[in-house]
Amino acid sequence: MTTSFVEVDVRPTLRAGGEPFGEIMDAVNALKPGEGLRLLATFKPVPLLSVLSSKGFEHKMRELGDGDWEVLFSPSAAARTQPETGAPGIRDDGAWPEPLRHMDNRDLDPPEPMVRILAATEEMAPGEVLSALLCREPIFLLPELAKRGHTWTGGFEPDGTTYKILVRIGGSRGAPPPAAA
Amino acid sequence: MLGARLSRWTMSYFAAALIALVAAELLMALGYGYPGAPVESAETLVLVHLVALGWLSLLMCGALFQFVPVLVARPLYSDSLPLPTLACLVAGLATLLLGFLQMDGIVSIPFAFFPMAAALLAIGFGLVLWNLGRTLWVARPLPLPARFVAVGLCSIAATVTFGIIFTLVLGGVTDNPHLVDVVASGVPLHAIAGLGGWLTFTAMGVTYRLLAMFMLAPELGGPRSRTGFYCGTAALAVAIVGGVTAICLAASVTLVLFAAGLLGLCALLLYGADILHLYRARKRRMIELNSRMAAFAIASLAASVILIVVLAGLGILAQHVAAVVFLVAFGWLSGLALAKLYKIAAFLTWLECYGPVLGKMATPRVQDLTVERRAIGWFLLYFVAVWAATAALLLEMPVVFQICAGLMLIASLGIIVQLVRIRQLLDVSATLRLPPGVRVPLLLRCSVQHD
Repeated sequence: MTTSFVEVDVRPTLRAGGEPFGEIMDAVNALKPGEGLRLLATFKPVPLLSVLSSKGFEHKMRELGDGDWEVLFSPSAAARTQPETGAPGIRDDGAWPEPLRHMDNRDLDPPEPMVRILAATEEMAPGEVLSALLCREPIFLLPELAKRGHTWTGGFEPDGTTYKILVRIGGSRGAPPPAAA
Repeated sequence: MLGARLSRWTMSYFAAALIALVAAELLMALGYGYPGAPVESAETLVLVHLVALGWLSLLMCGALFQFVPVLVARPLYSDSLPLPTLACLVAGLATLLLGFLQMDGIVSIPFAFFPMAAALLAIGFGLVLWNLGRTLWVARPLPLPARFVAVGLCSIAATVTFGIIFTLVLGGVTDNPHLVDVVASGVPLHAIAGLGGWLTFTAMGVTYRLLAMFMLAPELGGPRSRTGFYCGTAALAVAIVGGVTAICLAASVTLVLFAAGLLGLCALLLYGADILHLYRARKRRMIELNSRMAAFAIASLAASVILIVVLAGLGILAQHVAAVVFLVAFGWLSGLALAKLYKIAAFLTWLECYGPVLGKMATPRVQDLTVERRAIGWFLLYFVAVWAATAALLLEMPVVFQICAGLMLIASLGIIVQLVRIRQLLDVSATLRLPPGVRVPLLLRCSVQHD
């Protein structure tokens, strides 16, 4: 079975200093059954791999030169029969709007970054997105976000030291997500 | 990207470990074991295993069940195995100690304690390896600190294997000549695998992450750190594999240990350079008590290395090896353990109690659970007592050693009181202590998130 690919080139967005995650997820959500995504980025989009893997996509990566990467995401065999697979925290059932709030928590003593992110999520409305920069992966924050019904994605920036997390506020705040382990 | 949750039984491991520490310090203060009795006496063996297995290994296992998931950003393979694991380890330790007392004629029950201890400890550490090994396996490629832990886990496997051989030969289960040779010449290898590979190498890996995290310093993993890791791994491989080969071929174990020692020295020098860099490159200028006390522990490790080099240079290492082992066990490993416990107990308790309500209401900060100016006196007393006790051992002054051990006991009890106060939130101001929905945690068990 050959897969037809929808191309998304996020290089201009990245070069302009923008955040392409919403753009990518919108494209993924618009894919028809059996369609794949051809992504062009200015770095190896490692964080995205696990997000799309949880949505049932396999990937093949190829370096294009000048640091650019092409990634082909195609629906995996399992996803073709069961398209609604998902993992806790990164289930995605709607659009990811541009982040409404930005935080730079890189110079804060732990666990202050976690405290501030959770405080911010309490002030935001369902569906809104928070973007935060951290100096390490927020290991203990993630189960707490899942417990509060929020979804997130995150990963290290190309500099390898800044961790960026996007949190989308859940609609059923306070209720435990059904798939959370 | 799944994060890590609170480890349910880590506090129970810490409590069991602290009980063993207090028991060992009490025995030393009462003059039990070395220097009052010979190094190879049953009394000293009881003391050494109470410290190495009861205190340091239980503490390390409890800490790893919590921190391996943090190092690899994945949940622990099994959250229910640690409790039966703890039961096996504690029962195995108790049986082993009874075996030593039986060897000494103090316990006269005709029961095969040694084979029983071997079985219980093999199951206990087997479960530790299975649980942590599975957690690490799915997280490959491993970050540098986790690689140190992986080598530490291989070393505990070697240590336990040596221990099983010893118990089977001493318990009269086997008289295989190679195994008898291992018992005759393998004690240094057992000690190096345990204190060097399992406890020291694992602690080194954990400090890379914890010091960076608590002092806001950059994560290290560059060529110097990697070279240090490879040198240390090679040192352990040469000592353990080379040592056993030398024993079986009736060659010189000393030569093998000398080669391993040189590699180990390189590893520790590189580690020292990395740690100095972490302290210098930290963004947090005012560091907390745990990081300041960890510096004393690391200084004790440096002092141990200098002591080994000087004593070996003077040709008197063999007669003073107990003093070096004491400084490694109490200055470096125990000092680091107590310092980090002070932070870890506060952080885990804070996360357990206030994590679910963060952002929803006013909550105390982690540092509000501790009173550092009260704890610092106990820590300083502990380190000064350890250093004085080491000097007393070197100068062969057993009474002074007993007094110092008594001071270590008092200091440890002082620190334990602080840890219990942290766990029960006793130092948190009354207005913030128990917001609606927050309860005082159980002393020995963490409520896991999602419970």
